[in-house]
Amino acid sequence: MKRALLVVCALAAPAPAKGYKALAVENQLGDVRIEGHDGNGIVIETHKHAPDDEGLDRLRISLVPDPDGTVRISTHADPSPESKPVPRSAVSIDIVIKAPRKARLDVAVGSGKLEVVNMDAGGELDSASGAISVKNVGGELYSHTVSGHLSIAQAFGSVDAATLSSDMDLDGIAGQKLVASANQGTIAGRRVRARDIELTTTSGRIMLEAEAGLKSHIVVSSLRGDIDVKVRRQPQSALIVRGRGTKVDLGAQTVGQGGNWQEVKFGSGGEAGLVELRASLGNVRFAVIQ
Amino acid sequence: MTCESVREQLTAYLDGELADERGSAVRGHLRGCEACRKAATDEAALRDGLRALPPLDPPASLWAGVQAQLAAAEVEDAKRPAWRRLLARWAPHGRHIGFAGLALAAAVVLIVMRMQRHDETQPQVAQPVTPPQQTRVVIAPDHPSQAPAPAPVDETDVTAALAAEPAQITASYADTARELLDLAKDARAQWPAERQRELDTQVAALQKKIASATDERARQSSYRKLIRYLQRAVIRDDVALANIGGTP
Repeated sequence: MKRALLVVCALAAPAPAKGYKALAVENQLGDVRIEGHDGNGIVIETHKHAPDDEGLDRLRISLVPDPDGTVRISTHADPSPESKPVPRSAVSIDIVIKAPRKARLDVAVGSGKLEVVNMDAGGELDSASGAISVKNVGGELYSHTVSGHLSIAQAFGSVDAATLSSDMDLDGIAGQKLVASANQGTIAGRRVRARDIELTTTSGRIMLEAEAGLKSHIVVSSLRGDIDVKVRRQPQSALIVRGRGTKVDLGAQTVGQGGNWQEVKFGSGGEAGLVELRASLGNVRFAVIQ
Repeated sequence: MTCESVREQLTAYLDGELADERGSAVRGHLRGCEACRKAATDEAALRDGLRALPPLDPPASLWAGVQAQLAAAEVEDAKRPAWRRLLARWAPHGRHIGFAGLALAAAVVLIVMRMQRHDETQPQVAQPVTPPQQTRVVIAPDHPSQAPAPAPVDETDVTAALAAEPAQITASYADTARELLDLAKDARAQWPAERQRELDTQVAALQKKIASATDERARQSSYRKLIRYLQRAVIRDDVALANIGGTP
């Protein structure tokens, strides 16, 4: 019978004089969860799993507080040529960190899950095949994964998200800018209120429900996927929508046509918002939510 | 006192339990009886030897055997008629217990001494150690109701797997970049010369960054920039957008 062992340790690192500015975590061996709190300290809880004591002893966690206010946490497995090989899937280190909200993040995981909640200073999140889940964050956030599912909810700063071969869910993005791209995967955005929105897929459907304000600029492009965009328009501003694709439905009478583009205009007045929809080998559908 | 009665009380005497006149009588007999004195000396030496032994837990199998014998005796007791159990309870058995105790003590001594000699003569080979459960919390098995899982087939050690992973991730980014470069080549053929030059310049600069990256994470970051640029150039038809968005 497969046996897993668990070791829990909690470290409370004293805060430097000016508090922690950044948190850098690199864990190829398992999950990472980071929870923001209003205090100044950092509490780290680690869970190690291995088939036996020898395997547990080989799993290492290092914690290095830099004088500049950055705390670096990394994990690795000690080589042990004398002992029997331990398969990659038989060991793991999961880390739960409670950190000050204002700390900027630089976190990388492999196949483990990466969860971030209640952080205010943004940062960079990176995974190979592990899912990334972000909720209630501020600041400039860069999030990218090769094949892990990417979910960002309640982001109040700029978001840059990218996947190679996985789906992406964006919900409640309210920063100045949202840039998201997927090579082989869908992008689903809901309640997006960013002023500049740019969504791109090579092969993958794009669904977006957004609010268009003054001078909003929304660009949605896909090479092989369909595009389905719904926009809530502010009554006092006009909205110009351009679409290009195999089949284009912009939800209103087309007022202009140039090249392969079709164009409609909703409302009147200055400070018009602009929506550009391109689906080279897919269909384009647009609707205004009143 | 007779030699027989002295031998019966010898253990208690050596334990210091005969402090009254009985102890004095045994001492007096030992002064005059060489055989009993030799028996007392032997037993005292045996006790000293036992005390000098390092503490050693008996093997689990020994205790299991004792428990099994006790259980068998209890079963036999239950099978006996009540009158025999009552008779056995009241029958004089002091001498039997004494002999049985000596036999048991001798058996334990023999076992301990043999184990000691065994440890001294055997080469020191690392033995599989049962993990101390009190210092570890055992997680419930993945499939507690199922048969034991087969031994893992993958014998690659975790360190080798971890060392290989960053390059594998980079390879994924490189594959995607190649796919988009092929798409860009097809699209480029339709573009005017100025736009072609812009694409070539941007791609060359990004590829230079990939080549000069010092580690895999930096290389992956450079690939992400190239992928983002190619997506914009090919899918969005905008070759001059390399600086929009961060894409670290």
